Amino acid sequence: MSGSPFAEMLGALTRQRGVVASLVVDEHEGMIVDAILQFGQDGDRIAALAASLYRKARQSAHAAGLGGVHFLQMDAEQGRLCMAGRNALVLVVATSPNANVGLVRVEMLRAVEGLA
Amino acid sequence: MTTHAVESWIEGPLARFVDDARVSLALLLHPSGQVLAQHGFTRSVDVMSACALAAAINASASELGKMLDGRPFTGLHHAGEERQVFLAEARTPRGPYIFLTVFGSESSLGLVRMYFGELVTNLMSAAPAEAAPAAPALAENFERDLNRNLAALFGRA
Repeated sequence: MSGSPFAEMLGALTRQRGVVASLVVDEHEGMIVDAILQFGQDGDRIAALAASLYRKARQSAHAAGLGGVHFLQMDAEQGRLCMAGRNALVLVVATSPNANVGLVRVEMLRAVEGLA
Repeated sequence: MTTHAVESWIEGPLARFVDDARVSLALLLHPSGQVLAQHGFTRSVDVMSACALAAAINASASELGKMLDGRPFTGLHHAGEERQVFLAEARTPRGPYIFLTVFGSESSLGLVRMYFGELVTNLMSAAPAEAAPAAPALAENFERDLNRNLAALFGRA
């Protein structure tokens, strides 16, 4: 864990049951700002692809006249990827299938207020 | 826009990189400045200029890295207002090459770095088993080889 301004936020998210990775990512560059990852996880790859996904979702919502994206959730076979963004930063959380996604969502939406 | 390569084994990995990373321009060259493959350029004179500049930047960055850090810098990124440049060394069984790519808002530095890693892996596995041509870039042959490669890329071979 790093001493960055996001360390506490990421730590709180990672303590949620089923959370396997949490990252703060630059939306435009797709680069990690800070992250808590498990051994062996490729954070750079998660960051690049998740930021791209979030950016495309935000652009799609805008194109459809739906306004901004608050929360993005992708369900996969072996887990979920949740994203919430603010001020060109994206909070990315990867969870296992047994995670309480409702709690994770609430915690992420609270945490995203701290992205400056 | 199509991808062209002087040596056919480069074409597949480079085309895949361009498709995956959503870049607008891509260039693979020998550290001497000889072009090996390109995507997105329409004029041979632009390829020639880009190769010369990329080779010079790579040489400068390598020396600067050695002075500052004891080893060459192998990657460089410049973010412009609308377009960004990524330049890095790609090590292959045929020797080190220089890779230059230009991308806009369709892509990101993170994606380009990630797919560049895959490009290097794909080049490693696509490279022919036989040894690399050992011909050094001699000044007297440089222009002839450059013109031959540009002709191959722009269909005037």
